[in-house]
Amino acid sequence: MSTDYDDALYTDDQLAERLAGDLWRQLWGYTRPYRAWVWGLCLCAVVVALMDVAFPLITREVVDDLTHGGLGADLTPWLWAYGTATVILAGAVGAFIFLGGRLRTHISHDIRRDAFNQLQDLSFAYFDRRPVGWLMARMTSDCERLSNILAWGLLDLAWGATVMSGALVAMLLMAPNLTVTVVAVVPLLALASLRFQQRILSTARDVRRYNAQLTANFNETVMGVQTTQAFQREADNHNRFRQLSDAMYGASVKNLLYGAIYLPVVLTLASLALGGALALGGLELFLGTLTAGTVLAFLTYARHFFEPVEQLAHWFAEMQMAQASAERVLSLVNAEPEIRDSEAVRAGDQNAALPPLERIEIRDLAFAYGSGPQVLRDIQLTLRRGTLTALIGPTGGGKSTLSALLCRFYEPTGGGIYVNGQEYRTLPLRVWQERLGVVLQTPHLFSGSIGDNLRFARPEASDADLWHALEKSQGAAFVRGLPEGLAFQVGEGGSRLSAGQRQLLSLTRVLLCDAELVILDEATATIDSETEALITQALKDILADRIAVIVAHRLSTIRHADQIAVLEGSTIVELGNHEQLLAEGGRYATLLAQGPTIPS
Amino acid sequence: MRAHSLWDLTVGFRGTFTLAALSLLLASAALLLVPLLGTYALDVALAGSLAPASTLLAPLAKGFPGHEVLAYLLLSAGALVAVTALAGGFHYLRGRWTALASEGLIRTLRLTLHHQLERLPAPWHDGMDTGDLVQRCSSDVETLRVFFSNDVLEIARALALLLALLPLMFWRNASLAWLSLSLMPLIFLFAVLFFRRVKTVFKVTDEAEAAMTSALQENLTGIRVVRAFSRQPEERQRFAGFNSTFRDHNRRLIDLMGLYWSLSDLLCLSQIGLVLFAGAYQLQQGTLSVGELFAFLTWVSMVIFPLRQFGRILTDAGKASVALTRLKAVLEATTERSAPRAEVPTTPAPSGPPLGLRLEGLTFTYPGARTPALTDLSLTVEPGQTLALLGAPGAGKTTLLRLLLRYYPIPESSILVGEAGKPLQALETLELPSHRSALALVAQDPFLYGRSLEANLRVGAPDASEGELWTALEDAALASTVRALPEGLATALGERGVTLSGGQRQRLAIARALLRRPALLLLDDALSAVDITTEAHILAALRARKGESTVILTAHRLSTVRHADRIGLLEHGRLVALGTHETLYESAPAYRALAQQQGFAP
Repeated sequence: MSTDYDDALYTDDQLAERLAGDLWRQLWGYTRPYRAWVWGLCLCAVVVALMDVAFPLITREVVDDLTHGGLGADLTPWLWAYGTATVILAGAVGAFIFLGGRLRTHISHDIRRDAFNQLQDLSFAYFDRRPVGWLMARMTSDCERLSNILAWGLLDLAWGATVMSGALVAMLLMAPNLTVTVVAVVPLLALASLRFQQRILSTARDVRRYNAQLTANFNETVMGVQTTQAFQREADNHNRFRQLSDAMYGASVKNLLYGAIYLPVVLTLASLALGGALALGGLELFLGTLTAGTVLAFLTYARHFFEPVEQLAHWFAEMQMAQASAERVLSLVNAEPEIRDSEAVRAGDQNAALPPLERIEIRDLAFAYGSGPQVLRDIQLTLRRGTLTALIGPTGGGKSTLSALLCRFYEPTGGGIYVNGQEYRTLPLRVWQERLGVVLQTPHLFSGSIGDNLRFARPEASDADLWHALEKSQGAAFVRGLPEGLAFQVGEGGSRLSAGQRQLLSLTRVLLCDAELVILDEATATIDSETEALITQALKDILADRIAVIVAHRLSTIRHADQIAVLEGSTIVELGNHEQLLAEGGRYATLLAQGPTIPS
Repeated sequence: MRAHSLWDLTVGFRGTFTLAALSLLLASAALLLVPLLGTYALDVALAGSLAPASTLLAPLAKGFPGHEVLAYLLLSAGALVAVTALAGGFHYLRGRWTALASEGLIRTLRLTLHHQLERLPAPWHDGMDTGDLVQRCSSDVETLRVFFSNDVLEIARALALLLALLPLMFWRNASLAWLSLSLMPLIFLFAVLFFRRVKTVFKVTDEAEAAMTSALQENLTGIRVVRAFSRQPEERQRFAGFNSTFRDHNRRLIDLMGLYWSLSDLLCLSQIGLVLFAGAYQLQQGTLSVGELFAFLTWVSMVIFPLRQFGRILTDAGKASVALTRLKAVLEATTERSAPRAEVPTTPAPSGPPLGLRLEGLTFTYPGARTPALTDLSLTVEPGQTLALLGAPGAGKTTLLRLLLRYYPIPESSILVGEAGKPLQALETLELPSHRSALALVAQDPFLYGRSLEANLRVGAPDASEGELWTALEDAALASTVRALPEGLATALGERGVTLSGGQRQRLAIARALLRRPALLLLDDALSAVDITTEAHILAALRARKGESTVILTAHRLSTVRHADRIGLLEHGRLVALGTHETLYESAPAYRALAQQQGFAP
């Protein structure tokens, strides 16, 4: 199978030329439930900034009182002022971290919650195009990143704006002509900061990319170590690794060098302002137009005035870089489930009882993935209660697609599927899918005990129910052989069990949920012949009084089917039972002549 | 590699680290001059004469009679910019050398890890979990990288600043210097104690995040099962639990950080306030100048902020040494060929004529196992012959093949190999690289590299011609599949390329093995996912190559084994029957039952 992943899915952050207002506005919407915190945060930031501005003023007053008042100056009020400002500042710092943390963790929680809920409804077509790793990255690192921008970026914005404007007002009141010297450097500094931040962030992206490749390479090294050793590819592989490692080294050093140049540039630019202020301020001090305290305060402002510029440049560049993350996360949250109940169905009775399944008719069914070629066309097939239908044919013939359509994991693009005479899209999705039991080629177990996994099908089942179902599915023997029995921990993805054992559990699950339509999609393809024999034996029991569809290629599995549909070139080319088809001497007979397995 | 301590890792980079530390010292010293320049300038301006001026700049200012003060101020401004730029230059050098040293050190570490992993023997790998190993090689290495590139120099910086400042402060004003330092030990102690306490909260938060991530991963990989059983509501509820637990732990962590920074700010501002008001008092007494007060205030704030970082740095150092301990397991393990040996040839030598094989009472027990996997196995395979092994899972088939590859230490003199007409040699006396270059293995679930199809084939024989590649593909019944791919041999495999089916993977692995023209070909249930027609094609191709390789194959299906020269039946690690299809059908009831069940009478 060729997986034509949209390559855009893999492109990491690109530097966005301009910020997309809509996007950030929508993200900003996540702060809505927490407006009180947002205001509180801004308030704290302003208080902190005002205190930052106040300290140099206090220093100024102290120095001036002393230089003018001499020995008699009373410093007590300023001591109080300093103490009060210290306590207020410390309190406000604590409060803004507290509020910012609340905002940040709640926003990332909410985005993740919405995305997760959305994922539960999105159709499989969505998952086909997006590997699990991609989705995981959206839900973890992207969520954290965006909530960081929203919470701490906001904080720095409020703080920075207040510090700068507060310092500006203070400086203007004290010495307007000195202020001009200091402010003149700001545009230069802002531009330099922004450029450097962009470089730093985009080289950081390269580092992340190489890092991911290195991890993948380590993974391959460990997974493939026996093959590598058997074929003696150690030196060759090591050379590949070395190249990657060198590329990583180059990218990291580059990233760090940008950082190393950035700080000196900023400091030197700032020193221009500081030097100017020193010369001019010193002159005015000499001429007596300014007091010593004012000059001292002014020099302090000149040093602190530039910190917010650096911070704001950083957040602006980070927003430019994270815009791609924002887009991807929002695209996930906003994705419309392609398969959902229509308006009419939602308006109707959600719990309308569906009578037991008697007959499923597939009429004129056609299907294509997206705008791709037709995978199925002109399918006519009737499935009746108590019968087993086998779907066989070469790979790409459409067997698995047909069973996915029956499950309504996809919807037909032409024709329809009629349940007791009613088109299945007119039924609530949940009502339909509750009737289904599917066993996939690679069964999926969740980490937890065997009991947990079986109860996935029926949470309220008692141990006795589980054992009863296990007896029927022929799985009881192996579970009994485990020391912990039903409490046996299966490991991640069921790794502590063999493929055959996993399949037996997967089959048991279907029995437990009392499905009326049971679909076994290549369920016996990857298991050993002993387990297959067990499953075939169990099938007879399981399938009585249900509608069963089995996709398979082993003769032993299909020969007992009530009807066999041979799918080839997107449609059913032969239909009948084993004897009929053999007698016809068509495709089925030819396939059978080649051995006990139908080529797939 | 010796890696007892973080210090050991710095071998080869200590010079560069020293240069970086030296630059840092010079940068810090230069930055300390800045307030001093201000001090002199302000005092000169206040006095209106050059009396309190610095001896360095004063002579220059005297060159402008009548405008000495103005000249001195301008000179100070110029010197301020120049000194800052100079400090910047040293700052850059420090950054550059730190980057080269820390990244170089980490590159060496990565290469060593990779080299080790490739050469550690199967028993070692058996005992390790893949995810855990990869985790060590990625995040533990990253932890070390952060430590070496950020923290080592931060420690040096704080120490350098303090060392440079102490004489300066005591020189200018000893009593104010004592006061400037009074709260610093407290600030430092608070940082260290706080981060030690908060470590457990960090851990709990990390665990909550890991739990949330794995719940998410399980839901996404099992999404089809979730849908098949309509379990979305329960899954939503389950995930909501993990999601909010993580949120709450994370929030608690940030709350603690808030507490820390708030209290730390209180302490730091108190320290600065102490200097300000004590300085004011001294100013009143006339024992301190305005300029000096300015310098002291600047110095204290310069040194106080790096000091607050110390708690975090010490936490990082703790994490780094834990990471190193975890890496030691890889770095210090003994590899397959720890003894000095010749380099492995990049092109395996052509593997020569087929090998004969004799097992003499081979008994083997896996390290750590109680019962032997193989017991008293004796048999002979003539060069060029095919031996098939049948048996239930766990009967020992795969174990035998793994022993032939020498993945495990083999019992002395129980496996003997040799070409026709030459004496047999005990396997453990052969040089491992040359032995393995004569072998090729196809596993039931073969490992393919995430590279192109062609690169995967060339794993077998790097210098094969294109014609040889296609011949191997034909023999493995994969040529038409490859031809049908739009990019043919260049098709990428793996996550970003084409996903092959189990049967296609087996066939590719067979082609890869055939390309090697091995003296001994090992097929470990290598046709299990291939259908009967294709299997027949491949077996025929193998027969056509008869005499080229000795073949040992294992299988469940009789169609795979019945044409072998000899068939062995294994049960619980013992050879219970040996013969041809016909003789076994007559003599071995177990074999006959199997043959009848699968529809193969002789």
